[in-house]
Amino acid sequence: MIPETPLLGTAVARRRPLRQRRGWRGSQRGTERATQIFLLVVLGVGAIGTLTPFAWMVATSLSRSANDAMPRIPSFWPSDPSLFNYEVAVSDIPILVYYTNSVIVVVASTLGYLFFSALTGYAFAKGSFPGRGALFLCFLATLLIPFETRMIPLYLLMRDIRLLDSLPALIVPFLVGGFGTFLMRQNISTIPDDYIDAARIDGAGEFRIFWRIILPLCKAPLAALAIVNILWRWNDVLWPLMVTSDRANYTVTLGLALAGRASGIQVGVALATATLAILPVVFAYIVLQRHIIRGITMGGLKG
Amino acid sequence: MLPPFALLVLFVLYPTFVTFRQSLFAARGRQEEFVGFEQFRSLGVNPVFWQALGNTVLLAVCFLAVILPLSVVLASMLNRVRRGGTPLKVIYFLPQLTSAVAVAIIFNYVFQPDWGLLNGALRALGVEDPPLWLSDPRHGPFGSRGAVTILAVWTGLGYFILIVLAGLQSISPEIYEAAAIDGAGPLRIWWSITLPNLRPTFVFLLITGTLDAMARFSDLWTLGGPGGAPARSLQTIVMYMYQTAFESGNVNRAAAVGVIFFLLMLGITLISYRGFLSREFRRSR
Repeated sequence: MIPETPLLGTAVARRRPLRQRRGWRGSQRGTERATQIFLLVVLGVGAIGTLTPFAWMVATSLSRSANDAMPRIPSFWPSDPSLFNYEVAVSDIPILVYYTNSVIVVVASTLGYLFFSALTGYAFAKGSFPGRGALFLCFLATLLIPFETRMIPLYLLMRDIRLLDSLPALIVPFLVGGFGTFLMRQNISTIPDDYIDAARIDGAGEFRIFWRIILPLCKAPLAALAIVNILWRWNDVLWPLMVTSDRANYTVTLGLALAGRASGIQVGVALATATLAILPVVFAYIVLQRHIIRGITMGGLKG
Repeated sequence: MLPPFALLVLFVLYPTFVTFRQSLFAARGRQEEFVGFEQFRSLGVNPVFWQALGNTVLLAVCFLAVILPLSVVLASMLNRVRRGGTPLKVIYFLPQLTSAVAVAIIFNYVFQPDWGLLNGALRALGVEDPPLWLSDPRHGPFGSRGAVTILAVWTGLGYFILIVLAGLQSISPEIYEAAAIDGAGPLRIWWSITLPNLRPTFVFLLITGTLDAMARFSDLWTLGGPGGAPARSLQTIVMYMYQTAFESGNVNRAAAVGVIFFLLMLGITLISYRGFLSREFRRSR
């Protein structure tokens, strides 16, 4: 199909005189401008639709009277701007504790996941050991097992090894996964063996080769994997809901969910809590948006 | 190689095995008794289970039926603009980064019938009697299921647009040049060249989107608790599994639901991959 196309193109191009084609393009210029304006208007309306709920959330969270009565016509400017709702939110729920927990869980599980993904990926791509094929199949097969299918025995296991209601319970089940292993194996396979052989001749051990040669060459897939995993772990609510019961171990997402469900009537406070939970993510996104978008496109969204 | 494999066995393979085993047993006091497929049989006549399964499938189908065409149209437009593409992409993707929980809390109020953002806007547009949204458990585009579909589309649109954009940019520009020289209009080109060439992208989004929608939990749980209020209209199969295990305390029945869920997801994956691969083969032949 691909070699055919240029040929087809030239054959058709010959049929039309050059000047005539130019004229056709020139008259298109006005239409093109109209098209661009039309596209930007439609896309802009969509973007406003995307942002409006956020704007409304922030405006409402700044209004103290939102807890008693909401205006019948939605307002994007609080009639009585105050930080009252934020004070209530911060004193009601230990959001700093939740943040610390979330950061610990996300950082630890992501670092472990990246390390083990790269390590197993390297072993499957370049190593030779008995049962390599069968083991790789084991890792791949886990891609077909949804987390939800194994979550209840996993919960019982956590109970039996006395990890329930602790931060490690939110970390250890997510250190190894089929997707990371698969993605890293695909990427490490493309690294020429010469690099590894050269290092080996220089006397480097396996782990040194992995640390000094393989990892630096895999920055892009590792970054993609990290972003997907961070989002996944940060936003997860089902597993933290199952294994934690003490507020001291809640993550931001779980704390927000429970606070939101409890304060269903206090609109202003609930939305202030939501704003506090979203704000750091939005800041990180604005700073890192280029990397995040590239990582998502590369790694898919789900791990 | 041993430590990661041990973790995999301990946290992935072993619990999966336990789920399958538990699904064949029933609790008798403190003992477990082998009952064969009894759990599955009793699920088969359990209307709550069927409603949860039906909700899950219905919500997944509605979500994909709306988001796929919408994201293709918007991505095609984004691909065509000369300036402003990047900020627009960034904005469309923003909701995806916000946790499903936060989105659910915001939309719980957006859909509030009396003073919510959406009905306020509808009234301003002259709608006399705007819908009840989340308070209305009936089927239909303006009930609770319609509301959570809007919520899911609003959240997921940016991701779908990004993937479609990547697909659009992988189409060889020569095909477009040939068609333009041939005198095909832009809409014709879009219909006969862009859409057919996006097929691998569609398959990818269809598989990942379906698997994701089938496992839906966080946002619906935040809105309606594990029972999927109102009137179980939002209870998905994962919510039913959670409720069965942790509120009714019936681990064995929950395991049977887990097995059914596994088979469903496996079936969806296999069918879509097979359909995809066999078509590719037919093409190359």
